[in-house]
Amino acid sequence: MNQKIQFTLNGKSTTMEAPTHRLLLDLLRDEIGLTGTKEGCGTGDCGACTVLMNGKPVNSCLVLSGELEGASIVTIEGLKIGPELDAVQNAFVRDGGAQCGYCTPGMLMMSKALLDENSNPTEDDIRFALSGNLCRCTGYAKIIQAVQDAAAMIRSKNVQ
Amino acid sequence: MAELTVVGKPVTRVDANEKVTGEAIYGYDLVLPNMLYGKTLFSTKAHARIKRISTEKAKAFPGVVAVVTGADVPWTHGESIKDKPFLAQGKVRFIGEPVAAVAAEDEDIAQAAVKLIEVEYEDLPVYVDPEEACKSGAVAIHEDFPKYRKVDFIVPGAHANIAEHFKLRTGDVAQGFKESDLVLEEKYFVPMIQHAAMEPHSAHAQFDKETGRLTIWVANDAPFRALHEIAEALGMPKEKIRFINPLQGGGFGSKGGLKVEPIAVALAFHTNGRPVRVKFNREETFISTLTRHEAVVYSKTGVKKDGTLMAREMTIYWGAGAYAEKSPTVCIRGSLPAPGPYRIPHVKVDGYAVYTNKPVAGSYRGYGIPQGAWAGEQQMDEIAKRLDMDAVEIRLKNIFVEGDISYWGEQLHAVGLKETLTKATEAIEWGNKPHQIKPGVKNGKGFACIQKPTRSPTTSAAGVMVNTKGDITVLAGTVEIGQGCNTILSQVAAEELKVPMAKVQMHPLDTDVIPYDASTTSSRSTYHMGNAVRRASIHAREQIMEAASPMLEAKTQDLDCVDGKVFLKDQPQMALTLGEVVRRKFGPEGVVRGDGSYTYEIGKDLDLETGHSDHASAFYMYATQAAEVEVDEDSGRIRILRMSAAHDVGKAINPLNCVAQIEGGVVMGIGSALHEEMVIDQTGKVRNPSFLDYHLVTSLDTPELISIIVECAEPEGPYGAKGLGEPGLAPTPAAIGNAVADALGIRIYDLPLKPENVYWAIQNKKKKDAA
Ligand code: FES
Ligand code: FES
Repeated sequence: MNQKIQFTLNGKSTTMEAPTHRLLLDLLRDEIGLTGTKEGCGTGDCGACTVLMNGKPVNSCLVLSGELEGASIVTIEGLKIGPELDAVQNAFVRDGGAQCGYCTPGMLMMSKALLDENSNPTEDDIRFALSGNLCRCTGYAKIIQAVQDAAAMIRSKNVQ
Repeated sequence: MAELTVVGKPVTRVDANEKVTGEAIYGYDLVLPNMLYGKTLFSTKAHARIKRISTEKAKAFPGVVAVVTGADVPWTHGESIKDKPFLAQGKVRFIGEPVAAVAAEDEDIAQAAVKLIEVEYEDLPVYVDPEEACKSGAVAIHEDFPKYRKVDFIVPGAHANIAEHFKLRTGDVAQGFKESDLVLEEKYFVPMIQHAAMEPHSAHAQFDKETGRLTIWVANDAPFRALHEIAEALGMPKEKIRFINPLQGGGFGSKGGLKVEPIAVALAFHTNGRPVRVKFNREETFISTLTRHEAVVYSKTGVKKDGTLMAREMTIYWGAGAYAEKSPTVCIRGSLPAPGPYRIPHVKVDGYAVYTNKPVAGSYRGYGIPQGAWAGEQQMDEIAKRLDMDAVEIRLKNIFVEGDISYWGEQLHAVGLKETLTKATEAIEWGNKPHQIKPGVKNGKGFACIQKPTRSPTTSAAGVMVNTKGDITVLAGTVEIGQGCNTILSQVAAEELKVPMAKVQMHPLDTDVIPYDASTTSSRSTYHMGNAVRRASIHAREQIMEAASPMLEAKTQDLDCVDGKVFLKDQPQMALTLGEVVRRKFGPEGVVRGDGSYTYEIGKDLDLETGHSDHASAFYMYATQAAEVEVDEDSGRIRILRMSAAHDVGKAINPLNCVAQIEGGVVMGIGSALHEEMVIDQTGKVRNPSFLDYHLVTSLDTPELISIIVECAEPEGPYGAKGLGEPGLAPTPAAIGNAVADALGIRIYDLPLKPENVYWAIQNKKKKDAA
């Protein structure tokens, strides 16, 4: 059954019709054409589809469009601030946090959520926060390093 | 050699930006105008005759455009044995084999229609164990095996289910064992695992009736080979087929060959010119695409008291799954060096690639080396222990060094093995081995050495274009699968044309315009394509120099090239930019194009009776990895504390990228050592086709990683480079196995080293000790 939904997507108010059972992941990728959010499993086990929903990280493959009413969604496409990369994106570029890059959008959104809450995470905090995001390429070391570097960047900016 | 300016430097990845912004389009993301959606019906039987398929209900379902079965597509394909139908014909050989497919206006319709297809099966005996499958009395999984088309080097085995029998014969092992002071014989097992690239599999295809052209969009790591396989199967001229590669979200060997492609192609012939997309979800990817060979390895080794290796005999059953795919070459290239990187006078190896009723095994990062190393390298440690020798010492006594003749008759050069051994073991303080630090927890250290060949002989070709702005475009068929080839190849072009990295871009991969490349496999790209791009860049540079010579009124040998400019060596102010030279010579839209190609010619073909060859591989990769572990005696849980990995890469074109490849390979290897296995029951069903039940390494499980680059230059390689994509994985399980044995005093022969296996091994030992 189609239903009208209104929500905020990357800062823009969005109204659309969608079946209530449609997954947020499919809505983003197939209907809206934002394919930056990736599908790795479709069952909530890999984290590739992570987006921010009201500031909290969620697996978009587990969110139904019916739950979206009034929500604020931020996807990887909304992470840049104007033309500038976000600190965490910058750090992933510099440190080699992305190899094939398929897990990267999910990793970045999860890292962003962590850093928004805690700009001084320990290595264990980072490992724990990212433990639901699978990466088959990097062995995680460079990703963890990138999040640490992003945190340092954010802290030094805050001091200024 | 002039000083290198870009090669050898830790350049950041050229593709990082599009990957961190979500702009990168992968195969799974691709949407084509007017596209249809394909869904597949998979076999629910591991071995059965198809008595009846009825598709009427599916065809009548509103929104369905096409329904195809094996009857519509009477084609078979296969890399070296043409045994696999596009869709099952007459029988099915594994659960997950594509039987029929539907193209419809949307995915939901396609899925609903697939459910309406009825198939009636008649069961046949199911073989899930490769050793059982080739016992006398086992029925043939491929009745028509003798009739299949095969490439020349295939040697079928005595049993109908043996697709390939590789033989290596050197010296006389019986004599060698007789002369030995100690002979050990053991059986090892490596289970079937999966690549689990984060991007699942998909393919898009379109057939244009008017032009007779078939276009396939797919993240395939060997588009030229896939094109060839499809052309051959369909009897279509190659020019009529085009492969376009969107970005690939990992592969590790899983994305070569044909998996989803045949389904998309089968449908494309029935959709009236509309493109069709077939996506496999994760479960479908698990059951229907490719896996790594399970292997049963019997290893028997004889040594002198002083540790000198005398003889090694190995018999390896490679579980091929239901179709041959790459099994013959995995069997050959995995069995050949399985006895390890050692001087051994008497060697006998029999490798059998055996059909079973399981998902198809294909290439997998390491290509047969991890399985051989799991057995051979553990047995080396066991021998050292029995002889009361240090594990490093026994290796040093026997390992290949420069100029050695290998047991397959090839003189080896550029052998950096010893340096990797010393450095990797030093990095974990090998000599210092506290076995108990915490109560109830045992500590141990272990390592393993490997030598890995690359697919040979093969060809890579490349083009390099320079425009009037001095921008460089590289045309290369190497697929960026995450390994960083676009960065490496850009560095090579930037180096040879003396331009900044920012001036270089890679052309998207499209077989209509990109020169031939054999494949992005076997760690071959840096060496082969690196050479091709280097040659193409030099060719372009020479043309520019020649064009600049009259412009600068100087002989070409008096010209030099730096920072995007051509200038007079003794008057550097007399300079022209590369772009300016191109414009003056060829006009405002002019382009200079350089071409280059590199083929490694094999010496003598592998002798099919003895396995001997005087040059079996373009180059060899050497590595040693060492692990320090702690094992909890109550739970059997293994924690890896640190892992060092020393790799002889020849020359690190990009040290950052080398470390990235090593770390990724090591961690993937840790998964296969500690918990990965495809659990398949007696009916042939995969019991854990999800990331919930098939455990990948997570960010919580990785140890301290110590990557060490050793550079023992390969004279033929670009700047001395070899390859590095695969070897990070290969010695990892054996190194961990050795560390666990060191910790517990117990040798475990079967992978994975999951807690219950370790727990029971500890309990059994306790019982034995008590008795
Ligand atoms: S696609 Fe959502 S968790 Fe894997
Ligand atoms: S970079 Fe490939 S899965 Fe993480």
